[in-house]
Amino acid sequence: MTDAAGGQHYGVGQVDEADVIYGEEKGPTKASQVGSKLTAWLWALPGVLWLLFFLVAPVVVIVIFSFFEVSLVGFEAWTWTTENYETIFSSSSTYVDTLISVIINAAIVTVVCLVIGYPVAYFLATKIRSQRLSIALFIVALAPFFTSALIRVVAWIPTMGRNGAVNEILTGIGIIDRPLSWLLFSDFAVIIALTQLLVLFMVTPIFFQLAAMDKSAIEAARDLGASQLKVFRHVILPLTRPGILIGSVFVFVLAMGDFATYRVIGGGRIGSIGVNIQNAVSQIQYPVAAAQAAVLVVVMAIGVTVLLRFAKLRERL
Amino acid sequence: MEDRLVGPEADADETQREDPGRSEGDRPTGRRGLRLQALTKHFGKIVAVDDVSLDVEHGTYVVLLGPSGCGKTTILRMIGGHEVPTSGQILLDGEDLSRVPPAKRPTTTVFQHFALFPHKSVVGNIEFGPRMSGLDKSEREQRVNEIIELLGLREMRNRKPAELSGGQQQRVALGRVLVTRPKLLLLDEPLGDLDRLLQLRMRVELRELQRELGITFIHVTHNQEEALSMADEMVVMEGGQIMQSGSPTEISQHPRNEFVAAFMGDNNILHGSVREVREGQVVIDGDLGTYEAPNPDGRALDEGQQVTIAVRANAVRVAPGSSNGAVNSLAARIQITEYLGDVVKVHMTAGERSLLAKVAESRFVEVSGLHGEPVIASWNAEDVQILDD
Repeated sequence: MTDAAGGQHYGVGQVDEADVIYGEEKGPTKASQVGSKLTAWLWALPGVLWLLFFLVAPVVVIVIFSFFEVSLVGFEAWTWTTENYETIFSSSSTYVDTLISVIINAAIVTVVCLVIGYPVAYFLATKIRSQRLSIALFIVALAPFFTSALIRVVAWIPTMGRNGAVNEILTGIGIIDRPLSWLLFSDFAVIIALTQLLVLFMVTPIFFQLAAMDKSAIEAARDLGASQLKVFRHVILPLTRPGILIGSVFVFVLAMGDFATYRVIGGGRIGSIGVNIQNAVSQIQYPVAAAQAAVLVVVMAIGVTVLLRFAKLRERL
Repeated sequence: MEDRLVGPEADADETQREDPGRSEGDRPTGRRGLRLQALTKHFGKIVAVDDVSLDVEHGTYVVLLGPSGCGKTTILRMIGGHEVPTSGQILLDGEDLSRVPPAKRPTTTVFQHFALFPHKSVVGNIEFGPRMSGLDKSEREQRVNEIIELLGLREMRNRKPAELSGGQQQRVALGRVLVTRPKLLLLDEPLGDLDRLLQLRMRVELRELQRELGITFIHVTHNQEEALSMADEMVVMEGGQIMQSGSPTEISQHPRNEFVAAFMGDNNILHGSVREVREGQVVIDGDLGTYEAPNPDGRALDEGQQVTIAVRANAVRVAPGSSNGAVNSLAARIQITEYLGDVVKVHMTAGERSLLAKVAESRFVEVSGLHGEPVIASWNAEDVQILDD
């Protein structure tokens, strides 16, 4: 009978005793556990209250409203009907078509933002040697956010309009004969404008992910014979996946819920859910607007869930 | 790329271990093994490595030892291809590697803090190298399994690095590089992240592994004890230069200069001037007494020349009594005794100077009884080492 700890041979592949030693040191006392639990809840409180008042409550109200009956004064409270949902899903309604086109546009915007944003984040986080400079450049990249979103959206009109800068330049050089009409008030224009508006929501999480990444893993991969491309594919990309996902969720959700860009750049020709809801509201059809909003929330939730599930974000974080 | 695949087999016999990938004919001229030739590296105005030359035979366990900033890691990184030398050459079997990218070198590195891929499992980490070199699946699996068996990682093969203890991570880091069968394994402070108990065990494991594989290990550390216990060949560095290289016993018993003597610890450093040189013996007028030292290298010493000598602590005897003015003995008083288990460190003062002796554990009671009493610290002439300037 040898002593369990002392009697074993110290060979290769033996379980570390260190594990056992450290394992015992965990587990705080009961009293401190209660204390730390209370502190944890206190820290969570502002966030919980915020979410209750500004997210959960409005969504609940909207869902309740969406089942009220439409009347001349707006709605008949506490008279239940599913008619509003039937209305928006009826063949005469453009809601579903709009929803599909908005989803497609949001997906395209997300991909474009990723394609443009990743190199920017990569450059800032890894190619700039001085951390100070890389933060400074990052703040410069954020500069467009110093102005209001509406101004940035409106600025696209003189840029992309029929007599706007882009058309003037292209006709001036002689690349095209007549001004391109699809530069503004089109899906293309909406996608461009949304990309410009949202690309930084992609750059930011990827930038921080890259900056926090252990650079020696890259060196190790090189050392083990990986080419630049393989280092990227097998090490950098997987390690920045959480950043990519968070960025994608931001961009996708914001693009889907967008109102101002569709309104101004779409010029009323390109429908968005936001514009649809606003139309319903202006026609005093509050329950219909509520139903449209409720469906949008559900669709976004499904989209985000699919995205996260697909990429097993939890495991990576 | 070919070179990485033809490294020594883990279980190959001695003859096969001798570089099977090359025939005599296609090898460029030059000796076998690693040779650093006037290697220099500047970072801006800072000279990190200053004209370092070193020869290492195949199958040697080399430890680069020195305080932080001495250039040891920079040398390792240059050998691995992660830094480009400012000047000088790195020759492996006569072939200059200085401009070869790391991926193409027959070297691999175990990085400080391991640098494992956090998103990959143990298997994923280990098979990375073979995958990158385009080895086919069955061969890859076979090699990975060999390594997993060799390092005893079978039970945790599907775990992620975050789920492993420090010692296990260390083993994965080793497996990840050994699977590529390098000719030269570079280890940057490989034991730095482990607690002491584990360090002691990993020293033996690393040493065993190196013997088993028969490849050259170059290990960087700032820990003297670690270097002494592991190295075939020790290289002590300071200020970008090699202070002394040699076997652990050489470095420990015959430090060449004051830096090495002081850095290795447990040396008494004394000063004096040469009184007389006769037949390999040097008599020195010291600040505290007369010393006698051998002069095995037959170095030229003038009478009156200032010299520094080192006497190892474990060569110093401690006995009660007052000094009789004999050669190599000093009157001293004991300040503190330190019980270290196997030895007792006796801290003494002789005049203004402090002296250190290491005596057997069995003398602890006796020696601690001598606190404050006059004692004689003495040593034999052959334990005195005259240091270079």
